[in-house]
Amino acid sequence: MKKLLLVSALTLSGSLCAMAAQEVAKSPPAAPYQQVSKLVKLPDFLPGMGQLFVDPATLPAGPFLAYDHDGRLVSTIYMLPTKDLNPDKSFADLAAPGGNVDHVDVYYNAGHPGVEEPHVHVVLWHVTAADEASVAK
Amino acid sequence: MTIARRHMLGWGGGLIAAISLSGRDVWAQEVVEIRMQGRADGSHVWFDPIGVLIKPGQTVRWINLNPGNSHTTTAYHPANFGRPLRIPEAAKSWASDYLLPDESFSVIFTKQGVYDYYCIPHEHAGMVGRIIVGKPESHGGWMEPVTASRGLPDEALEAFPTVEEIMAKRIVRQV
Ligand SMILES: [Cu+2]
Repeated sequence: MKKLLLVSALTLSGSLCAMAAQEVAKSPPAAPYQQVSKLVKLPDFLPGMGQLFVDPATLPAGPFLAYDHDGRLVSTIYMLPTKDLNPDKSFADLAAPGGNVDHVDVYYNAGHPGVEEPHVHVVLWHVTAADEASVAK
Repeated sequence: MTIARRHMLGWGGGLIAAISLSGRDVWAQEVVEIRMQGRADGSHVWFDPIGVLIKPGQTVRWINLNPGNSHTTTAYHPANFGRPLRIPEAAKSWASDYLLPDESFSVIFTKQGVYDYYCIPHEHAGMVGRIIVGKPESHGGWMEPVTASRGLPDEALEAFPTVEEIMAKRIVRQV
């Protein structure tokens, strides 16, 4: 009996996760996410990243959710100011609403409206490296 | 100095023709284009050229050619967020606001001197530029040294081409 309960509990939490991922899998994600290009003056679609959404309360780190032209979630991006990568600061427990991660990119960014200071992009790709092409342009 | 208007694509040809009919100095008719550019991943951003020598009355047009970013051309002037004055005292300030890809902004420069400007979101990445307005042959005392550096990040201060280099080359490229 105990075992059965555990199994159903696992199934339930599993489907909750699936539901949460469902809410962000397609653009636009539910509140509190907002379209970045409506918050700051940036192009609607950023080549290499896609269309970005963020909860303004989580700036600058994010997560930012990035969608391709078909509204499919392709990556979750964190933007970490380089000045905050020091012995006295850390970023812990950043939300990861996007589900499965295929691979990760980390690279320097000189800044853009919204996150003006130089920072590092940590990109959790939910699609294969070949599928990154869907946001290349 | 007059701020011309934004979104001037397709405007240049007609005006140039009009000015040449008025018989002004040929050199002063040329619109100098400064491109706002950046690498595809946003790791590097810059003005190209970063330094130019122009004549009084000449127009500079900045255009954002970076498809994944927004840039500004903003004079170092107290009228812009209380920044230190790094343009001639008699000259008017300018501020383009954010330019999306393919948007442009123009300024006509009339007063001689050294003009320093920056891009608001990218000053800390060293995205700055310098314009010198004056006749190349007149090496007089009109070039006030640009020394007000209060609040400028090191990355910006290090990025300006020197007055001497701009005077010598007329156009200074960084890339
Ligand atoms: Cu810029």
